[in-house]
Amino acid sequence: MAGTVDAAGHHRTGQPSHTGHWRTVVRGLGELFITSGLVILLFVVYELWWTGFTTQRDQHRLLHTLHNQWAHGVTIKDPPLGSAIAILRIPRLGAHYLFAIVQGTSTADLIKGPGHYPGTAMPGALGNFAVAGHRTTYEHPFYSINRLRVGDPIVIETRTTWFTYTVENIPGTRARFQEIVPPSDTAVSYPVPDQPDPSLAPTQRVLTFTSCNPRYSAAQRIVIHGLLTDAMPKSEGLPPALHGYTIKES
Amino acid sequence: MYGWLWRRLPGGIPGKLLGCAVLVFATLVLLFLVVFPWAGPKLPFNHVTVDTTPTPSPTATASTAVPD
Repeated sequence: MAGTVDAAGHHRTGQPSHTGHWRTVVRGLGELFITSGLVILLFVVYELWWTGFTTQRDQHRLLHTLHNQWAHGVTIKDPPLGSAIAILRIPRLGAHYLFAIVQGTSTADLIKGPGHYPGTAMPGALGNFAVAGHRTTYEHPFYSINRLRVGDPIVIETRTTWFTYTVENIPGTRARFQEIVPPSDTAVSYPVPDQPDPSLAPTQRVLTFTSCNPRYSAAQRIVIHGLLTDAMPKSEGLPPALHGYTIKES
Repeated sequence: MYGWLWRRLPGGIPGKLLGCAVLVFATLVLLFLVVFPWAGPKLPFNHVTVDTTPTPSPTATASTAVPD
């Protein structure tokens, strides 16, 4: 039998070879599976590592813009979604823990940093200053908020003021300092948290953080509550909660 | 698939290697800048908010400006 050899080294006998076709199909499938595996591995690299870089870059830009606004004495009325409104420091999570809080909680806002729920109180104001943040990926600002305990300070820096909130149960409400709630429990961000009526007039200055729980899951939300315990003009130096820390500007 | 690609790339071994490098790089760029950013937010562990923003009371929204 006079056979020929094609470029791939396959023996051609002049007859259509079923074995050859099957070989091509099986090889193609194998290559497809290996390629899918590689793409999924790359996606894990992207999620756990690359998203941190993009958030760092956004944070750097936001902090720069915010400090420029502050230096020029500009106070933005109705800050646009995605713009920085304040700087967050949590001593419990480290002396270098610093994030610009952006306005808005959409996907696009939250990949830049922790996001302020629009319509909730602004830092230091009467009502509920509610902020959502990533627990994993995107520089995971709220990765360790489960470590916050009663008495821990959370410092919010605005143009002229250090607002210090203290993690604690909210008096007169059912709101505990840490809660695990279903994702539909919007009451945690009501002006008076954790009661069914969103129109109840607030009498306290509350802070609320929300993030996903457990890590890498959307099954629940972890919630942290605190109360405003100190408001100090920046001209008077650092608030007590930040004593002993090197304040990194950006 | 890869065998077919290798045979189609021109320029002998150096050309084929260069062609492969270009294709791998282009694929990575496409994945990291287009495909993954699109797919990422669809994953459950990126859901961090309570579902709907509250209907704020007039008192709570008296000031929406960043305080000084």
